[in-house]
Amino acid sequence: MERYAAQARRVARAVLGDPDDADDAAQDGFLSALVKLAQYDSRRPFGPWLMRIVANAATDRRRRRNVRRAEPLDPSLVGGGPRPDAAAVQRELGDRLRAALAELPERRRTAVVLFDVEGYSHAEIAGILGIPEGTVRSEVFHGRRRLRALLEDWKEQGK
Amino acid sequence: MKNPESFDHRPDPELGKALRAALERSDNSAFVARVMANYDRALEQATIPTWEVLASWFRPGVAAAIVALIAGFLFGRVVLSGGDSASIEMAMAPAEGPGGPGLAALVTAADPPDASVVFTSLVESR
Repeated sequence: MERYAAQARRVARAVLGDPDDADDAAQDGFLSALVKLAQYDSRRPFGPWLMRIVANAATDRRRRRNVRRAEPLDPSLVGGGPRPDAAAVQRELGDRLRAALAELPERRRTAVVLFDVEGYSHAEIAGILGIPEGTVRSEVFHGRRRLRALLEDWKEQGK
Repeated sequence: MKNPESFDHRPDPELGKALRAALERSDNSAFVARVMANYDRALEQATIPTWEVLASWFRPGVAAAIVALIAGFLFGRVVLSGGDSASIEMAMAPAEGPGGPGLAALVTAADPPDASVVFTSLVESR
């Protein structure tokens, strides 16, 4: 469980945005997985099975709470603005990335995180999200385009 | 960093690293401890109590018993009404005349009989 805790929390956070909500959802997912452990087919990889449960738990939680739609971004977060002191650089980049993630549709940001952060294949993500593999490729492509542009912008400002 | 417009089927390590840092939370061990503390409670809620299992068996069990009773009653009634020893002996006796070998011969035969013979024997034995 410790092996997957960080991953589950990141995936839930990608879905929900709010870190505390995400931890609650990750917990829901873990508890659900532990209870359903007998249903797990040990011939298949454990990670995608668990992440599917966690992602579903996060989505359910978001629906139940009728979580507000992504709030309009503070232009200073995405578009640049003055760089803070060096100690806060990483934190600011994190803020910008989270804000940019929040702008993406839920499925898109989850697909990007599962692919680029967690290293799952398109086929595995298709299984986790319950969508066709081609749709996963498209979601990852469009999600990345936005996030990569943000990172490029950030790097240029840093030069 | 790769071209933002490029399509790549491989993970982007730089983007992945930045996103990981943005989404990461510390205190994973505290999180695990919290989940495990709630595990027993979740298991308790997910476990079906014994009496509910028994109750779920009760209805089909009663239905099966009723069906068995009715079937037994009907069978017994048929046997008692027409099934005295004389009629059984008559049925097992070889048929006279051109009808064929009779039930006893059919039952003791090594090879399966022709269906028409069986039918004829049954009709004649009545």
